[in-house]
Amino acid sequence: MAVSCLTRALRSMTLSQPALLSSQAITQTGLCRGFLTTASLEQNRTFWKQREKYTIKPMGMKKTGGRDHTGRIRTHGIGGGHKQKYRWIDFQRLRYEPNNEAKPFEEKVVEVRYDPCRSADIALLAGGSRKRWIIATENMQAGDIIKTSGVIGRMAVSANEGDAYPLGALPVGTLVNNLEVQPGKGSEYIRAAGTSGILLRKVNGTAIIQLPSKQQVQVLETCIVTVGRVSNIDHNKRIIGKAGRNRWLGIRPSSGLWQRKGGWAGRKIKPLPPMKVYVNLPSISAK
Amino acid sequence: MLLEKTRCLKAAAQLSSQTVLLKELSRLSSHGGARRHFGISRPLAAKVPPPRKPRERVDIPGLEMVTYADRMHFVPGLTKPVGPRWERDYKDPRYYESPPAHEMPLFKETPCYVFNQRTSALEGVRQALWLTKTKLIPHLPPQLLSLTENPANQIPDQDERVQNAIKHARFWDTTQERPGKEKYSNTLLLNLLHLCATLQSSHPAIGRRIFSEKYSLAATWKRGEDVFQIRGQNGLLHNCMDPLPEVSGKQEVADTADHVLEALYPVSPTIDLQKVHVYKDEPNCTGFRGDYPYPHAHTLYFLEGADARCKLRPEQFRAKMLMFTFGNALVRAHKAYGTQPRHVLDRPITVQAVGTNGRIFQFMVLQLNTTDLSGDDGIKNQVPAGLTGYKPEVFSKFLALYLHGAV
Repeated sequence: MAVSCLTRALRSMTLSQPALLSSQAITQTGLCRGFLTTASLEQNRTFWKQREKYTIKPMGMKKTGGRDHTGRIRTHGIGGGHKQKYRWIDFQRLRYEPNNEAKPFEEKVVEVRYDPCRSADIALLAGGSRKRWIIATENMQAGDIIKTSGVIGRMAVSANEGDAYPLGALPVGTLVNNLEVQPGKGSEYIRAAGTSGILLRKVNGTAIIQLPSKQQVQVLETCIVTVGRVSNIDHNKRIIGKAGRNRWLGIRPSSGLWQRKGGWAGRKIKPLPPMKVYVNLPSISAK
Repeated sequence: MLLEKTRCLKAAAQLSSQTVLLKELSRLSSHGGARRHFGISRPLAAKVPPPRKPRERVDIPGLEMVTYADRMHFVPGLTKPVGPRWERDYKDPRYYESPPAHEMPLFKETPCYVFNQRTSALEGVRQALWLTKTKLIPHLPPQLLSLTENPANQIPDQDERVQNAIKHARFWDTTQERPGKEKYSNTLLLNLLHLCATLQSSHPAIGRRIFSEKYSLAATWKRGEDVFQIRGQNGLLHNCMDPLPEVSGKQEVADTADHVLEALYPVSPTIDLQKVHVYKDEPNCTGFRGDYPYPHAHTLYFLEGADARCKLRPEQFRAKMLMFTFGNALVRAHKAYGTQPRHVLDRPITVQAVGTNGRIFQFMVLQLNTTDLSGDDGIKNQVPAGLTGYKPEVFSKFLALYLHGAV
């Protein structure tokens, strides 16, 4: 259709005199749309998560098998395994309900259950008129009341396990998990089973935490963390027992080819890397 | 001539190398993801470059974009022309898009929380009690249970016939080993109802009742600042020409004023209820027209397996029973006394409910004493409730509920 449009307009331009560009051609130019001369240019990858609204209902997940958008294996050793349904975890603990005011609130733990997508257990929290999944801490049980607060007082709060507070409100030396490095972004660190970080010191407006890998991190004191260790603490003591169990977990066998190990292999004893700072401190040179 | 031949050979060689390259290209590129490969001098088997993100289109309102519409061909630097949005000038019901919620004529700012037949209340009966401003009495009223003590009210060969009814529902109704749950629970309920109905010869009042199914209930009330509604088709309803007598006396009703409703903190009572902004004002509907000869609700019968999509745990099932019984009672109270909330009803409305999953029966009697549900104080409604597994008493309770009002 577009081709006929084009030819019609061009024909009108050649047959008539150039000054009399017919009104037909002018009106038809607005209707001309382009046409594609190549094959489809879309990529192979479609992400299975299409929903934007939060829900507690488990969703079907698509496995990648370690393949990237071109279809080639980018990460070896991934594939197969039991089908898993994804339960959408709310990592931003300090999320107020849409119609409520921004003050500390409490929620009730409805159930604590196994999550196939991660090593830790998850807990269903109900508060106000909404329910959400979070990562459960060590001694969380159904029926507990959990507090979430964004207020930093002058005195440090004696926090119960499972509660979430900003770093500035907690006493030094508490075990924390689900750390967020930028306030409001959602927790990205210390989420695995049995892990916990330690709040080392609080330095004017920032706090320094030691991560489970002994690396130290400096973040703003308004970042929210939950208190306690993550659930399922005996996860690292489990014995797989047989190759089949690994296959059920989606871990494919590694290549049996003997390959000469390079400089990356072997035990390394080196000093800790320098502390990572996630705070944009004003530099002295900027004037 | 020789020169031409060499030129031909060179062209042929070039063509063949190009075809080979093209074959490699088609082999290496993934299906549906053919990226054009213009270079022919470098090898194709190298790492595939990462996907390019398409250029971000910025939309500044008020700024007119220069398009290549008048030039009739793509010009780099000009935007793609966008034509006017096409609207169908005739009405086609297959392609109808409803307007957004805030443009609908029945849109209201204050939301309404709807309890429908597939709602699974998180807190179960406690939430239902708070929503309906009801006090739970742990046992069924004794005068009701004593109805079956009287031998005149018992069916001849009662035990044997009840056991036959159970055997029919559980074993005999199928050619396979066991019938499915929704089948046997339905058959069992109908068999028991039939057994009870055989007493009609001695109790003529049973003849003034009728069963009805698939009626749509709608009841509205205000609790605090929130509007609540119960809507849905719940189950079998036993209708009666005469209203049920009340189960608890005036003194007990006045005593409920001191009862404090259980708080559900930190969970709000509106959890799990469907929140709607588009609803009709005051849609009180019993499901029957005004001139229906059996206006009073006698008993509701709930089957757990009726709705395959919705599996309710026992606590949630009891909550559903309570809410729908309350809905039926409230709608009839609104019809009798008007929609204005009344502190005390002169004649409290009583409705009964029986719920079953084929094995376990739950019995409930609701007495609606007040329609003034906005505050937490004042007279409450009452719910005596009971639950049993199979024992002979189950059927006597079933029979007692059935006969209530007919004796």
